Amino acid sequence: MFHVSFRYIFGIPPLILVLLPVASSDCDIEGKDGKEYQNVLMISIDELDSMIEIDSNCLNNESNFFKKHSCDDNKEPLFLNRAARKMRQFLKMNISEDFNLHLARVSQGTLKLLNCTTKGKGRKPPSLGEAQPTKNLEENKSLKEQKKQNDLCFLKILLQKIKTCWNKILRDAKEH
Amino acid sequence: MTILGTALGMVFYLLQVVSGESGYAQNGDFEDAELDDYSFSCYSQLEVDGPQHLLSCAFEDPDVNSTNLEFEICEGLLEVKCLNFSKTQETYFIKTKKFLLIGDSTICVKLGGKHITCQKLNIVKRVKPEAPFDVKVIYREEANEFVVTFNTSHLQKKYVKDLLHEVVYRLEKNENDWMHVNISSTKLTLLQRKLQPNAMYEIKVRSIPNTNYFEGFWSEWSPSSHFRTPENNSGKMDPVLLIISIVSFFSVALMVILACVLWKKRIKPIVWPSLPDHKKTLEQLCKKPKKNLNVSFNPESFLDCQIHKVDGIQARDEAEAFLQDTFPPQLDDSEKQRLGGGVQGLNWPSQHAVITPKTFGGESPLRCLSGSVTVCDVPVIPSSRPPDCREGGKNGPHVYQGLLLGAGTTNSTLPHLFPFQSGILTLNPAVQGQPLFTSLGSSQEEAYVTMSSFYQNQ
Repeated sequence: MFHVSFRYIFGIPPLILVLLPVASSDCDIEGKDGKEYQNVLMISIDELDSMIEIDSNCLNNESNFFKKHSCDDNKEPLFLNRAARKMRQFLKMNISEDFNLHLARVSQGTLKLLNCTTKGKGRKPPSLGEAQPTKNLEENKSLKEQKKQNDLCFLKILLQKIKTCWNKILRDAKEH
Repeated sequence: MTILGTALGMVFYLLQVVSGESGYAQNGDFEDAELDDYSFSCYSQLEVDGPQHLLSCAFEDPDVNSTNLEFEICEGLLEVKCLNFSKTQETYFIKTKKFLLIGDSTICVKLGGKHITCQKLNIVKRVKPEAPFDVKVIYREEANEFVVTFNTSHLQKKYVKDLLHEVVYRLEKNENDWMHVNISSTKLTLLQRKLQPNAMYEIKVRSIPNTNYFEGFWSEWSPSSHFRTPENNSGKMDPVLLIISIVSFFSVALMVILACVLWKKRIKPIVWPSLPDHKKTLEQLCKKPKKNLNVSFNPESFLDCQIHKVDGIQARDEAEAFLQDTFPPQLDDSEKQRLGGGVQGLNWPSQHAVITPKTFGGESPLRCLSGSVTVCDVPVIPSSRPPDCREGGKNGPHVYQGLLLGAGTTNSTLPHLFPFQSGILTLNPAVQGQPLFTSLGSSQEEAYVTMSSFYQNQ
């Protein structure tokens, strides 16, 4: 009886304390008046959208990322934080200098406005995917091309989601 | 000892070196003024060269020796942490696409790799637009105005698109008397009447950011443009307008003259018609009255007229027959006699009946007949000829054209039962001076009414 009490007293509360920061959002959104978004971020998002040339079927594909993360009520900063971090992965694609600059502006600008203090800030962003073992050159090229198209498709959808989430934040800020 | 001395010497040397680097002067005063000497100001120009932005900084004190000084910007950049400025003459600048345009950046002055002074600023709050260009002034004669247009490179930019433009113009001879106009578009209209005629003007434009996010400074002035205002043409009138104005003036003058001339005869009677005057009406009816004509309704003025009794009537039988047909046989014999004696030469289908029982009665004034037919206050209407009393007995029978017959037993008027055209009455010249009009005092109103009806008929 006595050892059971010790387990519950000294075991569970520390567990709660450890898990609590993971569940909480420490983001404080600056620029809720929409000045930074309308004058800077939105311009770069539109530029990126025009640079991405992709099929219209792309928009129908739902990625696992969007199934896990969405711009729900009271979760807008968290979604934007995740989305901005995800965008950094696409810098490695090296499509063009201007493309990378706009991508970096959207990602970095969003993170700066969110002013989040969550842990894992310095973590290296996960890569887009592992390299496939080379079977032959042609198959590798087609696979790379297909992967690039998939990535661009995902990026296009991600940009739309970011835009929608920002509009939602600004609309809620105006109503309040 | 030697070691001790060497150690002390090194300590003093180090102290001196350290104090020298920290800026400690021999006179003991801290040289804080060094920071002020290196104060600088910066301005930015976005998308000045395609997608590239420009940030320019310069020392506020022109006497600063900037030989070994460098500028560096950190934070607020994309993909990199810091960037170094380039130098041209006394100005430091950096041209890059890597401005984040969100949040503050830190700009430091470095000397030998060490930061001398730093300043935190927001690039988007120090925007200096490019100067406008291509200022044109076009004169629109039909509207009497000058249209000023100019161009600016910010119309094609993505970030700083909305600007406030200041247009200034002056007479070339007035050096410092500038007129200011602020507009948000690239077109301005100047009214000719607000400018001096036949004068040379100078005009130029500058811009400043006009958004709620980008702020900054006025741009440089655009190159000046010159224009001349036309001469004053207000004295020259359009010939068509001149002709119309002359014709209208003469028309108005003619109307005024005609109004004055025709006022009494034509205009006033229509505008202010005069009520009929009975005396004047009578005069009009009589047309050429004689000088000594006694026109009056006063019976006393006819006292010297010979009034003859009417004894006999030519158409006696006819009159009696007519009276019997139209009236019930209620009349007395005396009345019949009166009627028979009184009415002579009457043609009954005429307008008015002539019944003067008074004439038969002799001296008595006119009395009303009893029964169905009564003659009350029968006025005697003279004929068309003026009743000249002196000629009364000489000219023979008078013609009486209108007499009003009084009402019957029912007190209803019977003016139309005895239509009377023209009857001839035989007057008894023996009876003279009968007061035929003695009872006219009570029937004067009827006489007036009859007179007015005559006037209207004419």
